[in-house]
Amino acid sequence: MKPYVPLVSNTKCECGHQNPVGTVLCEACGRPLEEKDLNSSENLEMRYDGVARRSQRDSPGVIDRVWNFFSSVKIAIYLIVLTLLGSMLGTIFPQESTFLNIDASTYYQETYGTAGNIYYILGLSHTYESWWFVSLLVMIGASLVICSLDRVLPLYKALTRQKIRKHRQFLTRQKAVLVADVAEDPEVWVARIVQPLQKRGYRVRTDGGALLAEKHRFSRWGPYVIHIGLIIFLLAVLARGLPGLNMDQHIAFPQGDTVRIPDTSLYLKNEKFTVEFYTEEEMPKEFRGTKVLPKLYETRAVLYKCTADCTDPSKEPQLTEVARHDIQVNSPLSYKGLKAYQFDYDLTPVLRSVKPELANSSTGEIYGKFELDMKDPQRSFQAGPYTLELKEKYLDFGLNEDGQPVSKSPYPNAPAFLFLIKGPDLPDEGQQYFYFPKQIDKEQFQQTAINDKLGGSGRFLELEVSSMSDVDFSESTAYLNVRVDRAMPFVWIGAGIVMLGLILGFYWQHRRIWLTVDDGELVLGGHTNKNWFGFRREIVSILEKIDMTVDEKSLDNGGGLA
Amino acid sequence: MNLLNFSSDVFIAAFFLYSGAFMLFTIAIMGRRWSGRKPEEHTARWGRIAFITSSLGLLCHLAYFITRWMGSGHIPVSNMYEFMTFLSMMVMVAFTVIFAIYRKIILGVFAVPISIIVMAYAAVFPQEVQPLIPSLKSIYLNIHVTLAALGESFFAVGFAAGLMYLLRTVNFDSRERTDRKQQRLVEFTLFSIIVIIGFLGSVFAFRGAGYESVFVRTNVTIDSPGQEDSTIEKVSYKMPPIVAPYHSEIESFQSFLGIKEPLFEAPSWMNGVNAGRKFNTVIWSLLSGLILYGILRLALRKPLGKAIHPVLDGIDENDLDEITYRAIAIGFPIFTLGALIFAMIWAQVAWGRFWGWDPKEVWALVTWLFYSAYLHLRLARGWQGRKSAWLAVLGFLVVMFTLVGVNLVIAGLHSYAGTD
Repeated sequence: MKPYVPLVSNTKCECGHQNPVGTVLCEACGRPLEEKDLNSSENLEMRYDGVARRSQRDSPGVIDRVWNFFSSVKIAIYLIVLTLLGSMLGTIFPQESTFLNIDASTYYQETYGTAGNIYYILGLSHTYESWWFVSLLVMIGASLVICSLDRVLPLYKALTRQKIRKHRQFLTRQKAVLVADVAEDPEVWVARIVQPLQKRGYRVRTDGGALLAEKHRFSRWGPYVIHIGLIIFLLAVLARGLPGLNMDQHIAFPQGDTVRIPDTSLYLKNEKFTVEFYTEEEMPKEFRGTKVLPKLYETRAVLYKCTADCTDPSKEPQLTEVARHDIQVNSPLSYKGLKAYQFDYDLTPVLRSVKPELANSSTGEIYGKFELDMKDPQRSFQAGPYTLELKEKYLDFGLNEDGQPVSKSPYPNAPAFLFLIKGPDLPDEGQQYFYFPKQIDKEQFQQTAINDKLGGSGRFLELEVSSMSDVDFSESTAYLNVRVDRAMPFVWIGAGIVMLGLILGFYWQHRRIWLTVDDGELVLGGHTNKNWFGFRREIVSILEKIDMTVDEKSLDNGGGLA
Repeated sequence: MNLLNFSSDVFIAAFFLYSGAFMLFTIAIMGRRWSGRKPEEHTARWGRIAFITSSLGLLCHLAYFITRWMGSGHIPVSNMYEFMTFLSMMVMVAFTVIFAIYRKIILGVFAVPISIIVMAYAAVFPQEVQPLIPSLKSIYLNIHVTLAALGESFFAVGFAAGLMYLLRTVNFDSRERTDRKQQRLVEFTLFSIIVIIGFLGSVFAFRGAGYESVFVRTNVTIDSPGQEDSTIEKVSYKMPPIVAPYHSEIESFQSFLGIKEPLFEAPSWMNGVNAGRKFNTVIWSLLSGLILYGILRLALRKPLGKAIHPVLDGIDENDLDEITYRAIAIGFPIFTLGALIFAMIWAQVAWGRFWGWDPKEVWALVTWLFYSAYLHLRLARGWQGRKSAWLAVLGFLVVMFTLVGVNLVIAGLHSYAGTD
């Protein structure tokens, strides 16, 4: 907990320095300020160099209370532990988001029994989107900001205004201490040790018989740099939820087709999709004949930008190629923040267009041929003297409960077309004709019977495809995940700053050595924020340079911990 | 294929060198009170020999890694066998780094066995070189997996030093309640390690004996009225079935010690056909762990903690505390970079999202949060010594669950890492 702060406290040190309330060690000379602490011989509390933090005001208001709450490391640790436990709970059963089409209210009960139902009722099936989990993350963010501000400013002040000569108690109550006799003149002795200290990378300042050597102070900023990075990271993650910064769609691209990416002026063409599997020879013996391992999924993609006629449905949009990439699982197409990822594929052939011939079924005479596109057919066709008007189009033909024809899906699984044919030897109002391009559908839905009913007994026209070259299939379909994520650069910047802070804070240590030589006695105190073992060894080797032999362990003033 | 044969040969050499190094480290520490020698000289001399042996082992291990990489054409960290062998190598790297800083011979007695156990665990999994599936074909396989394993290995050394701290400082002679509690917890930790050894022992014993029993289960699912779909699942037990899968029939049963059928059936909530087999493995591990523990207790006639305690006599506990902390402090940034940042970068490149709350991702985050809490408790709230050591021990449990437990118990996107 916070150090005990008396209601009315005299914060003026005997050296004459006036300290703010909450100060543990005098800002100037380092003497402990509290009465009970003054008579103790325990190691000094060197955290933040004993300076007062903002959260230690003596009369807190509401804002101060909130500030104090979030400035507490204890609260921060509680938040970390609660987030940790919450995250763990979320992995007991799969989250709802891992399934595409489930009814969560029954799924958990059916699959995992009562435990699953309780899990669902408690809302743990969407732990990471729940209000309490998000609040925990936001509170961690608040704690990061406030904890850092509360400490970094006072610490910065303390470290930039360090006095060289410190109170004797400040030195002898450090964790690395040496008290020894020195016969020499104080200033001469101090001058002698400057060189070896500098050689070890210390910046040395002297004041008569007192000395302060310091190195790697930047390491003290490591934790705060980490926290800044984490804040940027968390803000970037929150920003991803804002509209307009984010796009995430799964789009089907039949091979050979150019498909518009919704909400953009971009079109993507799947020139060729390839899936390869490892051959028997490439597999280890144990797997041969039992396992099939995929080797490659690749969509050869070309990205176009529409330059003109983009919105006019009567004209073909004019496209300019802007990017071209062979999309693989670990290699998305990337264009100005838009990325297309290989997501899935389907090897079922998809009918794209047919070129049927209009023929006379009794004489065999062929009147003409036209191209019928499945997705985007023309409204009317001309075949010899006959005009075919497209009345209805069903991409996935079926009958609803009332026996009416409907399209079951927008995919050309069972395309069907209803034409109104006009021309010689036909009634003036024309004759209706149902056409199923796929042979299998012709039989299943009995095309002939339907048309006999529609056209009556004198019917003589028939639509037929004469050869395979008149059928255009796309062999497969690639499913791409098209994403735009404008906040990503900030996520990476945040992560990079975190890493920088970690390296600063963990791979360097802030080391300080204070010493005074008075009346033939040397008092040396050392402080480091971690790695006391290496620090003591360094002090010993520095003292050796001026022919002073000290045992490493004798420097250890108890609690010589990191 | 010669390269791959050479690779597995040097791997075995590394295993034996590590085992030798472990024994030499033990001699260096235990033998210091042997008559006719000065303790410091003895420890220094044997310690040097032991360290040279473990370093030779590490060289062989590196040779295994490089030749397998060359032989298979991809970095050997792509399935559970390769990952575990790599992890054991990284544990030795972490040990070597920490040893070079602190020169504590005793560390070898506790850190080297971790590597040996991880290596043995690797051998439980199929060892064939498998070609890479498309999602693993990425430079981030090399970076993410290796850095994560290195970071975790420093946590492993932190665990070893933390356990040493506890063995050194817990008062094993006291009858007071708080001390008794500490004694029991240390004993439980040691027992858990013995259960893992029991698991490895039973796997290899039954594998050596060529044991196998097979169960089949017919699953009937009703898709629509009148239309039943049935699938047949088969599960092969490599250990004598004490427990059979839920609702299954025996296809073949090799009798063991006169037992001709499983003693009982798995409860219904273990509905996966493999759940029964995993449960059976857990029972065997506990059983052989108990037997092993019983033998050790009979031989030593005292709790293991109490028996090991004198080995650490004269070791400075503050040094152990610092080694624990230092190992974790070195490992933490590496873990962050490898297990979180590069994981996110790879996820972004492969799946289009840097974070998806996949169980493996969540557990990497849990590990990170755990060690963050450890560092805050230590640096800002002064948790040192005992409490800090317990956290280091517990933290490694979290690490192991992330690496092994998630794959065994929870499936997810990382399930291709291959599990048994």
